[in-house]
Amino acid sequence: MIKILLSLFRPFRWFIERMGADYDQFIRILELKLTLDDRRTRGINKTNTNSSEISNTILKQSFSQIIMGVMFAVVVMLVKSQFTFFFMMHIVLMIMMAMLIISEFTTILFDTSENTIIQPLPIAGNTQSLARNAHVFLYLALIAFNISVVSIVMAIVKFGIISGLLFLVSILFNVLFTLFMANILYLGIMHLATGEQLKTVVMYFQIVIAVLFMAGYQFGLNMIDRSKILDMTISLHWYSYLMPPVFFSGFIEAISTGTFDLKHILFIIESLIIPVLAIYLTTKYLTPVFNRKLLNLEQSDKATKVTKSSGKITGYYRIIEKIFTRRHEEKAAFRLAWQMSGYERLFKQAFFPSLAYVLVMIGVNFFKHDQTIESLQHSQRYFIIMYAFVLISFTLTTAILLGNNRQTEWIFKVLPAVSPADYFKGFIKAVFLRFFTPFYLLVGIGIAAFWGVSVIPDILIAWLSIYMLTLIMFYIQHPQFPFSNAKSASQGGTSFVKVMGLMLVSGIIGYGHYFISSKLGIYGMILLIVLYSLGILLVNRIWVYKLITWEKIDSYNSY
Amino acid sequence: MSTESIVEIKNLVKYYGQKQVLHGINLDIQPGQIIGYIGPNGAGKSTTVKILCGLIDDFDGDVKVLGKNLRTEQTNIKKQLGYIPENAALYESLTPLEFMQFVGRMRAIEEDVIRSKAEALMDIFEMKSNLNQRIATFSKGMRQKVMICSALLHNPELIFMDEPLSGLDANSVIMVKEMLIHLAREGKTVFYSSHLMDVVEKISDRIILIDQGRVIADGSFDDLSRLANDENLEKLFTRLTGNTNHGERAEAFINAFEK
Repeated sequence: MIKILLSLFRPFRWFIERMGADYDQFIRILELKLTLDDRRTRGINKTNTNSSEISNTILKQSFSQIIMGVMFAVVVMLVKSQFTFFFMMHIVLMIMMAMLIISEFTTILFDTSENTIIQPLPIAGNTQSLARNAHVFLYLALIAFNISVVSIVMAIVKFGIISGLLFLVSILFNVLFTLFMANILYLGIMHLATGEQLKTVVMYFQIVIAVLFMAGYQFGLNMIDRSKILDMTISLHWYSYLMPPVFFSGFIEAISTGTFDLKHILFIIESLIIPVLAIYLTTKYLTPVFNRKLLNLEQSDKATKVTKSSGKITGYYRIIEKIFTRRHEEKAAFRLAWQMSGYERLFKQAFFPSLAYVLVMIGVNFFKHDQTIESLQHSQRYFIIMYAFVLISFTLTTAILLGNNRQTEWIFKVLPAVSPADYFKGFIKAVFLRFFTPFYLLVGIGIAAFWGVSVIPDILIAWLSIYMLTLIMFYIQHPQFPFSNAKSASQGGTSFVKVMGLMLVSGIIGYGHYFISSKLGIYGMILLIVLYSLGILLVNRIWVYKLITWEKIDSYNSY
Repeated sequence: MSTESIVEIKNLVKYYGQKQVLHGINLDIQPGQIIGYIGPNGAGKSTTVKILCGLIDDFDGDVKVLGKNLRTEQTNIKKQLGYIPENAALYESLTPLEFMQFVGRMRAIEEDVIRSKAEALMDIFEMKSNLNQRIATFSKGMRQKVMICSALLHNPELIFMDEPLSGLDANSVIMVKEMLIHLAREGKTVFYSSHLMDVVEKISDRIILIDQGRVIADGSFDDLSRLANDENLEKLFTRLTGNTNHGERAEAFINAFEK
């Protein structure tokens, strides 16, 4: 599998060399990255060396992405115009790619962990950064392909084989273009900021972009008039010629229908030239800067050593610690996670965009165009807002694992703890209470102010159910110690799929809550509070000790 | 042998953020020597080595390695460098052979040469049987050995070692020491940064002592001891770096427990 993937680059050898990279070194670095991904997903303790390939994880991911692709295909299925069909698919793809780059692959583009090994080697010019981009490209292309494979088949049936094949080609162009746009953007930021600031700027930039995309997506969905979707045609303005989905669709239309007027020739030229030009410009002129800045980034990790710890042990912390933790192991783990989560860049980078998502959800629900304040007050839309918080708590359970403190597992193993479960209880409670709860409370106050105090029990119930869900999610995932794991490229698709599944679960829980409290009134609410409280007790006092044992931990960690 | 300097450092200055770690280092190093580069923790030893190996790009001052300017000809210089870092960072999920194959291919060494050299080098360390096991299962010393082997794979002219003996057992330490002496005899230059005074004292042709980013002593061990009248390098070291009250401190350490 890895060999096949690598051989795909052979026809482009001349191009890679023109970019100032050494082709052999390029292939070797890529091979290394893929091998590492492959083995990482197969667990650390399996010491067999005969590589039986990426296989399972990728296959599972691909399957769920294809299912997602079916959903998109259903939406565009009946669209009559060829141009509109491809236009919509390209827009969806571009948004998805951009979001994936920002949420999942940024850490890989900015990865400096391999520098001690790769830097001392005589590597020609841009080889390393080109390989890094190619690595991300492979994953993105795979995801893009999975999502659109159903639509490609549909395009072949509807518009002929040529259109379908051209669509496939244009998808690859789209991925390339989006990836290199991201590069340009990141380079832009890197030009503006240096060293210490850079990390912070990149983080906030990520958050802003994530918000913009999610907002655009949500608002866009709201604005499409679903009744007209079938006959929709895209009217072209001068700026349309600058939009990649437009010229990619125009390119397909032109060749498959044999239309070669001025407009379509322009589309063809744009489609062929712009992605290539984008790659050329970035690798030739911008990546050297990128690399240099990346080295600074690593060094500035050193420079920050002098920054004082602000020792965030506040009154809030003391109260929370008393209420939520019991044994001293749990308290110690609680405090560790509380403090570390305040410092860890990777954690924040992964976590903050999800906060933004909830803000967008609130915004979308308030600013629907055909809505008045009164009708909103009579609706029960606050359920959507409350249960959108599930996404935050899910991000917490995975973000807490990320960090540059490799090989710190031994600390926990060497301590005389009866059950490791206490540590894990402490970890998740700390981040949940530090990052989730205050924000939830704030929004809860807003909800209560808008919909009236009678919804306060609902706010409490939602909090309890999300708390329980968070604990369960954290306890059933592979028990790894926090702030010590690298983000791997091959996991990018997994969490995306998980988020989709989670949306479904939170929808069910939210709907159940809505149903019971509207049917049974106050008794229903009391019932739910009691049920969830008991559930939390059960999870925290009994279940977790059965679930997280040293045997299980030892199979996922090495010391 | 030419007497032209293999490493030439002029007024090397390095900042980490606001903090200055190197305050103008000047050095001229002749080929075929073992240079012992010593100093207390945080003196700037690793930083110097990293700059010379091209791991850190942004520094002030002029540095020439192998007669070439480090800023403009870094890639050419790297072809003839071997670097053994302090904390053996390796790709844990690879095997030593795979790791060395990667490093070798990156250096454009032929496939069969890589394999035979990897086997030969690992055999010296009695690790030939470990060639196809995952590095993740190795002890610190074993990792260090893999590191040393992969750094020597391309027969470099100039070898930088940052605390290379850490984690090695006594036999391996003797082996590495002998190996260094042999390498120097063949005309290779070894730049050896360490805390282990007795090893440095025995093998180094020249000792450079730095403290707080400045060179404070430079010469062969005989030169240094003639100047200062210290019977060993350890004494010299403590005198020059200004820590003479070790006894008191050790006592304070014990007292801290008894409180």
